[in-house]
Amino acid sequence: MRQQQNTSIAPLKTVGHATPRIDAIERVTGKATYTNDIRLPGMLYARILRSPHPHARIRRIDVSKALALPGVKTILTHENCQVVWGAGGISGGLQYNDDIKKITKHRRYVFNNPVRFVGDPVAAVAAVNRHVADEALGLIQVDYEVLSFILEPEEALKPDAVKIWPEGNLSLNAQNQAQPMSTRRGNIEEGFRTSDLVFEDRYTTAFVHNAQMEPRSCVANWDGDKLTLYTPTQGISNCRSDTARDLGIPPEKVQIICQYMGGGFGNKNQNQDADLITAMLAKEAGAPVKLEFTRKDDFIGVHGRWPTVQYYKVGVSRDGVLKGIQLRGYSGMGGYRKNTGTIGGIDIYQCPHIDSVVYPVYTNKTVSGNFRGPEYPQGFYGIESMMDDVAYKLKMDPVEFILKNMTRKSRDEVPYTNYSLEECIRRGAETFEWKKRWRPQPGSDPGPVKRGAGVAFMAFRSALGRSNAVIRLDAKGHYTVFVGVTDVGAGAKTTMAMIAAEALGVPVSKIEVVWGDTDRCPYSVGESGSRTTIQTGYAVVQAAEALKRQIAEKGLPTGDNVLIGSASPNPTLEGKVRAAFGAHFVEVQVDTELGHVRVLKYLAVHDSGRIMNPLTARSQIKGGATMGIGMALHENLLYDRRNGQPLTAGFYGARLMTHRDAPEIEVIFIESDDGYGPYGAKSIGESSKVPAVAAVANAVFNAIGRRMKDLPITRDKILGALA
Amino acid sequence: MAKLKSKKKISRRKFLQGTGAALAVATAAPGVGAQNTATDAIPRTAIRVTVNGTQRRIEVEDRWTLVELLRDHFGLTGTKIGCDRGECGACTVLLDGKPIYSCSNLAVWADGRSVQTVEGLTQNGRLDALQQSFIEHDGPQCGFCTSGQLMSAKGLLIRNPRPTADEIRAGMTGNLCRCSNYNHYVEAVLAAAKGGSR
Repeated sequence: MRQQQNTSIAPLKTVGHATPRIDAIERVTGKATYTNDIRLPGMLYARILRSPHPHARIRRIDVSKALALPGVKTILTHENCQVVWGAGGISGGLQYNDDIKKITKHRRYVFNNPVRFVGDPVAAVAAVNRHVADEALGLIQVDYEVLSFILEPEEALKPDAVKIWPEGNLSLNAQNQAQPMSTRRGNIEEGFRTSDLVFEDRYTTAFVHNAQMEPRSCVANWDGDKLTLYTPTQGISNCRSDTARDLGIPPEKVQIICQYMGGGFGNKNQNQDADLITAMLAKEAGAPVKLEFTRKDDFIGVHGRWPTVQYYKVGVSRDGVLKGIQLRGYSGMGGYRKNTGTIGGIDIYQCPHIDSVVYPVYTNKTVSGNFRGPEYPQGFYGIESMMDDVAYKLKMDPVEFILKNMTRKSRDEVPYTNYSLEECIRRGAETFEWKKRWRPQPGSDPGPVKRGAGVAFMAFRSALGRSNAVIRLDAKGHYTVFVGVTDVGAGAKTTMAMIAAEALGVPVSKIEVVWGDTDRCPYSVGESGSRTTIQTGYAVVQAAEALKRQIAEKGLPTGDNVLIGSASPNPTLEGKVRAAFGAHFVEVQVDTELGHVRVLKYLAVHDSGRIMNPLTARSQIKGGATMGIGMALHENLLYDRRNGQPLTAGFYGARLMTHRDAPEIEVIFIESDDGYGPYGAKSIGESSKVPAVAAVANAVFNAIGRRMKDLPITRDKILGALA
Repeated sequence: MAKLKSKKKISRRKFLQGTGAALAVATAAPGVGAQNTATDAIPRTAIRVTVNGTQRRIEVEDRWTLVELLRDHFGLTGTKIGCDRGECGACTVLLDGKPIYSCSNLAVWADGRSVQTVEGLTQNGRLDALQQSFIEHDGPQCGFCTSGQLMSAKGLLIRNPRPTADEIRAGMTGNLCRCSNYNHYVEAVLAAAKGGSR
């Protein structure tokens, strides 16, 4: 394995050294307790009945036969359960709050009527075991008035399209206005007027599902008016406040427990409809309830990445300097708007005139939401394919084009806290042997099996923000760190222990971490936006400093005494932007007779600031890059246009990467310490997927000489392009 | 791969104590009762199955899958259900030494046979070489596929003690990892095979 190579930063004692996870034994012995491993005495099992229609009004639901089945305890439908799922949609992608809840016209309930996609929950059953619950689903009689449906965002905006919501299919923002999202800089007409050449093209991306290995589940238990939810959530703190708000109970009456969770990649942040449904079932039944999603439930009932249509118009001078970038984009949000639907990427170019308008559009597909760099992998695929194409048309090497036009200040205006993009690209090109692998004439290899190389780059937010940490020291010299993090898989627990050990000057073995329980841990930002290490890690450093001051003042604790250090920092940046940087270089081999693409070489170069734990950081980069290859080449939740049915709702059909598909991902970290975050840590987890899709697509172009403009780049499309 | 300091290694005694406690709880839990069917007409069959070296006798509903038996009735929750339809491999266990998807096998089919789960990988309190290697190479990220990856790798090493990287990829290709830590899993199995089983 490639080792850490640089560094210009001063080494530390614990941070920066490859450290196995502090909970590694639990993870390899089956002892780690995931939500579905929880079993409470007298617990019932729940299942969800979902809409078989992409769009329908429920005329009548008859649950009498199901209720009569021995062992069935409770059934919920839209008739007896009208809980609004705040985080499920409606707020224009903004954080849902009481003000928005009051005014919004597009409220998403846990059970909706009409139903707006195949998979929209219609009823939930709690029974003595899962077999009875399953059987009961089949006895619920639903009389649907089937409505016409629409799957594609551009079609959904046509005047004669069926309206999924009364106000039309352009999603409303938090002020109930049907307006696209616009970003403008300079004057785009001026940009095109001053260009020597103007290029236009259209790119599309597919709906890809997060498809985390652990299907959603939840266990709810009421003790009087106190609700305890065992649930796989990326943010116990926001899950608690969401759940309390949605159920109308005080936050202190909700306890969220998430010890281990089997991945989420964005679709387990905040609270989920599963949490609310399970809580309501448990309340109605007067017994603990476990809700288990099937894999199909998870694919169609839980969100994935929003599909997009992207029209670009790009103006350049003859010597390859960008003058203007225009984007008209359409994002398919599904039946509810769970996130913004923006399309990212333009900002990584230096350009005086920018005009971006993106329409978030309702469709009758499964809902779209956060998935590892929510708006970026699809947006970067579009813009970096477009720019790659422009480079070839100008007869420029794409690496040279990038070096000429990449961002140097955020939005050409605000300086970054440190800037290493150029180093990422130059170092990457050299290590990858770009000049040797890249074909100046695309598709020029003789014979049916052709090779080519592609590159893409990225800048990804590494913002600061508030969080909390508490550290307790007892007389035996044991330190306990209390942080409200969950460990989605990135290794947050271990990272927090390492940061605490570094700050306290003690070995990691002296540190215990208490996490994943809102009754024991203070607020922490959720595992979203790749910011847990930055924000909560910084709070841990500050709490350690507070504890050290206590020790200096009072001496070490003796007997039963303890000392406690705590911190609630909310650091800010003034006049600067923090970003992680990176560049991916890919060599592919395309069999032009079979349409098959194989990745031969993959290099990922990242500046994620100082690396806290090279062992786990490397896993994050490899994982994101590998996911990106899957998104580029084969992942897709396909729908039948005739009946609106999802066709590939499962691991096999959606074509995830397997052991055999995954190439060796070479990782280089260019470390830096910009003086912010814990010891200079910046974001990692999401950023590794961001440029991967574009890099693979650009490599395919270099190999075959045909620009692949619709994801995924499957065999049929390659053969079609070459025919 | 960075060399690990000895203090990072697993305390096997600590591990053994933990496992013993977990199993005791699982056995005491009202497992079999919890999944009793509401209707009496469900066919049941008495089976005898060896699980992690211990012979167990139990009356199972004919519709129970093997993973259901292991998780709900024997309390062996280390085996995970990722898809319940033979697509992901999270539920992989060894049946008479061969890796199988326990979601796609009925519990009654295990009658008279021997099942090994992730809980049975440790021998006399010692982690299996694969487990140790998975830790050192950071195989598990979220960890949900890990038990299946381990059992698949174990089955592979039983029939091919010195596999190449390509043979490992082929042998474990039925085990998905959405964290996509495939590189590390392959490295871990290679290293464990080189070190020989402990």
